[in-house]
Amino acid sequence: MNFSHLITNYQEAVAMILFCIGFSNLLLQKNLIKKIIGLNIMDTAVYLFLALKGYIQGLKAPIVVNGVQSVKAYINPIPSGLVLTGIVVSVSVTALMLSLTIRLYLRYHTLDIDEITTRLEKEGL
Amino acid sequence: MAFVQNFPFFCIILTLFGGPLSSILSGKAAKYVNGGIISAVGAMNVAVLAFVLRTGESYTYMMGHFPAPWGNEIRIGVLEAVMAVVFCIIMLLSMLGGIREREQHIEDSKQNLYYIMVNLLLSSLIALIYTNDLFTAYVFVEINTISACGLIMIRQNGRTIVAGTRYMIMSLLGSGMLLLGISFLYGLTGQLLMSNIKESVEGIVAAGTYYRPLLVAIGLMSVGLAIKSALFPFHAWLPDAYGYSTVSSAAILSSLVSKGYIFLLVKIFYRVIGFDIIRNSRIIHVLFVFGILGMIMGSVDAIRQNSIRRMIAYSSVAQIGYIYMGFGLGTTVGVVASLYHVISHAATKSLLFVAGSGLTEVSDGSTRFLDLTGAGYRHKLAGIAFTVGSLAMVGIPIFSGFISKLLFAQAAVGHHYKTLPTLIALAISTILNTVYFMKTVIRLYTPEKAAVIREKNFCTIHAWQEPVKSAALICFIIVNVILGLRSETIILMIERGLQMFG
Amino acid sequence: MSVVILLAILLPMVVGMALLLVLAAKKEKDAQPTTEELKRLHITVAAVLVATAALGLAAAWLGSGDEGVTLFYLMKDIPVYFRIDELGKLYVTFISIVWVMVGMYSFVYMSHEGKEQRFFGYYLIVYGVLIALSFSGNIVTLYLFYELMTLATVPLVLHNGSREAIMAALKYLFYSMCGAYMGLFGIFFLYRYCDTLEFVPGGSLNMSLAQGHGTILLIAVFLMILGFGVKGGMLPMHAWLPTAHPVAPSPASAVLSGIIVKSGVLATIRVVFFMVGADFIRGTWVQTAWMTLTLITVFMGSLLAFREKVFKKRLAYSTVSQASYILFGLSVLQPQAMTGALLHTVFHAFIKTALFLTAGVFIFKCHKTRVEELPGIGRMMPKTLWCFTFASLALVGIPPASGFISKWYLAQGALQAKVGVYGWMGPVVLLASALLTAGYLLSVTTKGFFPGEAAQESYEDKEPSMGMLLPLIILAALTLLLGIFPNPLIGFAGRIASSVM
Repeated sequence: MNFSHLITNYQEAVAMILFCIGFSNLLLQKNLIKKIIGLNIMDTAVYLFLALKGYIQGLKAPIVVNGVQSVKAYINPIPSGLVLTGIVVSVSVTALMLSLTIRLYLRYHTLDIDEITTRLEKEGL
Repeated sequence: MAFVQNFPFFCIILTLFGGPLSSILSGKAAKYVNGGIISAVGAMNVAVLAFVLRTGESYTYMMGHFPAPWGNEIRIGVLEAVMAVVFCIIMLLSMLGGIREREQHIEDSKQNLYYIMVNLLLSSLIALIYTNDLFTAYVFVEINTISACGLIMIRQNGRTIVAGTRYMIMSLLGSGMLLLGISFLYGLTGQLLMSNIKESVEGIVAAGTYYRPLLVAIGLMSVGLAIKSALFPFHAWLPDAYGYSTVSSAAILSSLVSKGYIFLLVKIFYRVIGFDIIRNSRIIHVLFVFGILGMIMGSVDAIRQNSIRRMIAYSSVAQIGYIYMGFGLGTTVGVVASLYHVISHAATKSLLFVAGSGLTEVSDGSTRFLDLTGAGYRHKLAGIAFTVGSLAMVGIPIFSGFISKLLFAQAAVGHHYKTLPTLIALAISTILNTVYFMKTVIRLYTPEKAAVIREKNFCTIHAWQEPVKSAALICFIIVNVILGLRSETIILMIERGLQMFG
Repeated sequence: MSVVILLAILLPMVVGMALLLVLAAKKEKDAQPTTEELKRLHITVAAVLVATAALGLAAAWLGSGDEGVTLFYLMKDIPVYFRIDELGKLYVTFISIVWVMVGMYSFVYMSHEGKEQRFFGYYLIVYGVLIALSFSGNIVTLYLFYELMTLATVPLVLHNGSREAIMAALKYLFYSMCGAYMGLFGIFFLYRYCDTLEFVPGGSLNMSLAQGHGTILLIAVFLMILGFGVKGGMLPMHAWLPTAHPVAPSPASAVLSGIIVKSGVLATIRVVFFMVGADFIRGTWVQTAWMTLTLITVFMGSLLAFREKVFKKRLAYSTVSQASYILFGLSVLQPQAMTGALLHTVFHAFIKTALFLTAGVFIFKCHKTRVEELPGIGRMMPKTLWCFTFASLALVGIPPASGFISKWYLAQGALQAKVGVYGWMGPVVLLASALLTAGYLLSVTTKGFFPGEAAQESYEDKEPSMGMLLPLIILAALTLLLGIFPNPLIGFAGRIASSVM
């Protein structure tokens, strides 16, 4: 195992660490809002990773300013497109989660999912 | 280019537009539009299936103006068409079977919302089946998740909201992993179209470099999709979601939504990575182990339930276990068995949910076994349908379940070291299945005292009082018997489809 | 000829289903049918029964022998396939005789149970299924019709619709299914290790494939023997028999005991002698365990029958015991014992049917279900009780009645087979059980004719009508005649036995 790769690819390493933070928050937090924050961290980490994959040091953004230059002059635009699509998806998912959370809060006056579950069991529904 | 070849694209567009259209229609109109769309999509897919069977080869269909590897594509082969046809049939029957419950469970003002969700769900399923682009698959996976969540939530009570939330959380964990996996793969290969990725992957494996990141990507995608399709031990959300939502939702969720993800996984195995590489990776052992655990634990949990809906829901966990066990064998025969089980389980489980709802209806809405005593006499057709479903689940010949069991056993016996665990798990799971399904059937046909029936406000429903539901139930039974008797044709199509994949 | 086979199978099934459909379409289901309707029903059923029997026998005996017909493919290389062989011929013949006789008897008997159309509908379906079962050419077809038979006989058991009957039927269903599953588990293995799923005399186990997998294969075979033994009432899963028989209408219990139990035997024969091959299990723990279980069942069944006071239950326990005679004969894996087993299969079918039909007459005419109510019955219906007596003598095995011959062969075979201590223990147990059989059956006869203190001044004549009596007399006569002229049958059974070993 050669750890020097981790240093040279520090951006990817950061993305992965962020992903793990987000993932464990989404999985383990009891508070619904914190879960949603975890979800956003996780998604953002993936977007960071994707954007990194498309970025090439020292090249320009693929926007035509002074006529088309050679392909080698621009960074890869596809990951940026993917990131945009991904952001749209994650926004809608976040909105849905938030609306669910509001519903639950109005009904049970708590954001703790475990407590809601125990209360449901008490109701015996 | 034949006109038929456009049909898959039409299907996706038609269903996608069905969603917004339903939002401006009244509930009743939306219902008819939805029924029409599902039937039309089904019919188109039958035509597509006939076309691919005739030509004997798959084709790709360019979406937009850019050819591969830049543009977006869909790809149509025999297996895709078969799946699409099956999904449409099951969805139509599930929708028909649950009409009355939907009208009771959903507020009038929200009726049309339900049909928006169903249309979107269908469009995402069809797109998942046909797409040749991994990122598009991801987007439709999310659409699928969101609309499935809507289907759970539409019946408003505490249980369904919590179930919906739990479902979303687990699903998002799964899609997060899937997305990361896809990103990894993109980073490795620089491609998004499945066929192009496969070429690059072959190169990577041949070169021997970057093999470990490839494994990580495979693992992330497999585990992500496994979480989303409720493989044990990620099934905690499932019983509540299936157990308390309205019956059409439960039927569609259990028989189609999870199957869509499973089908995507098969596509990833065959079309993105290549099955030889999957076979040699250790991922399949993980799937195998969890599949077997699911087969047994799901059945054990099902036995412990005291409500018929939750029992059927837990039985799904066991059946999903069967499917992953088949993948885990790592042979094409195993995958064929799993795919056949996808179809047979879809047909059977939705039948069970619809029949179960008929039985609870005559038991004053109660799903508890205690109240279901003698329900088979109060709603005869539902009783018969439930019995047929149970027999299929248990694996009696002439019904669909027997063929899947036979295929699994056949696949297992051909394997050199997974034979015994598989067969033992099959045996244990079958016996457990028999215990809880036969226990239920016995309960349904144990006569209840007349006094109790009066006291508990039970009623009797004859088949002709609910013509639509009865027709759906009869169709379900017929589908099950056809799957049991004419399996050869379907297996043959699955095999041909898999060959086209490779 | 293949058309005849299919017709024999499909005709009763189709007519049976048509009867049920007509019934289902009727508006007032519980209304008593008029005499006119009943007569029509009886004529239809009788015609179909006779036609099916004729077709079945024609298919069995008139064909050139080695013919097969594939109905359709269940899966690639697993056809639903029928073929006529000697064992199938034997089965179809005695099933047809019993089925027609019991059918005739039911025309009268079922009038007091009611719901005739339903009964005859299922009765015909089961007949078709049984012919298919006998002619099954491979193990999957056999399994298919085995399960169908279970499902189709359940309505016969729960005929009267009482809670007790339904619980009994479900118990029957549950036991049968568990058994069939154990069989299915074995089929998975045989699919892999046998050259073909078709029945080949002597078995088709591929030794080179089986090399090194002996233990697991033996376990699979043992599970199959146990599983199909459920229908045959073998320990440890015999409990459905005494529960199901008393609640079912008498004709149904007659065929359940006489024929359905034999289907378990058929499946066992097919597996052991036509798939795995006797050599594979000879001398292994499977054979030892099998023999032990059957001997215990033989003895225990007789003992329980001896102590049982409900008449039909007593007969049911007797079936448990007698069916294990047959299975014991198979388990010693010796041609002569197998000949005995096959003979006993046929004899027991006739005998036990006759016995249950008598029990039915007692119920029908006098509403007597318990043994202590029976003294003096011979004075009321001497002919019936004579039939009962002849059948009992045959079952006990008193020469020249038929049971003697089969038991003789069983004992001879056991003594000749090299099975150690079982060689002499088998005959001893069989003998002890025969004594018990005499005790529990002939006591009914003696009390029936000589009621002793319980005697009444005068007995009214309660002899049943010819419709019930004739089948009884024919079956009783058959048990006697087959004992006096056994040679053709012995020869035939002997050929089957020697062809597989």
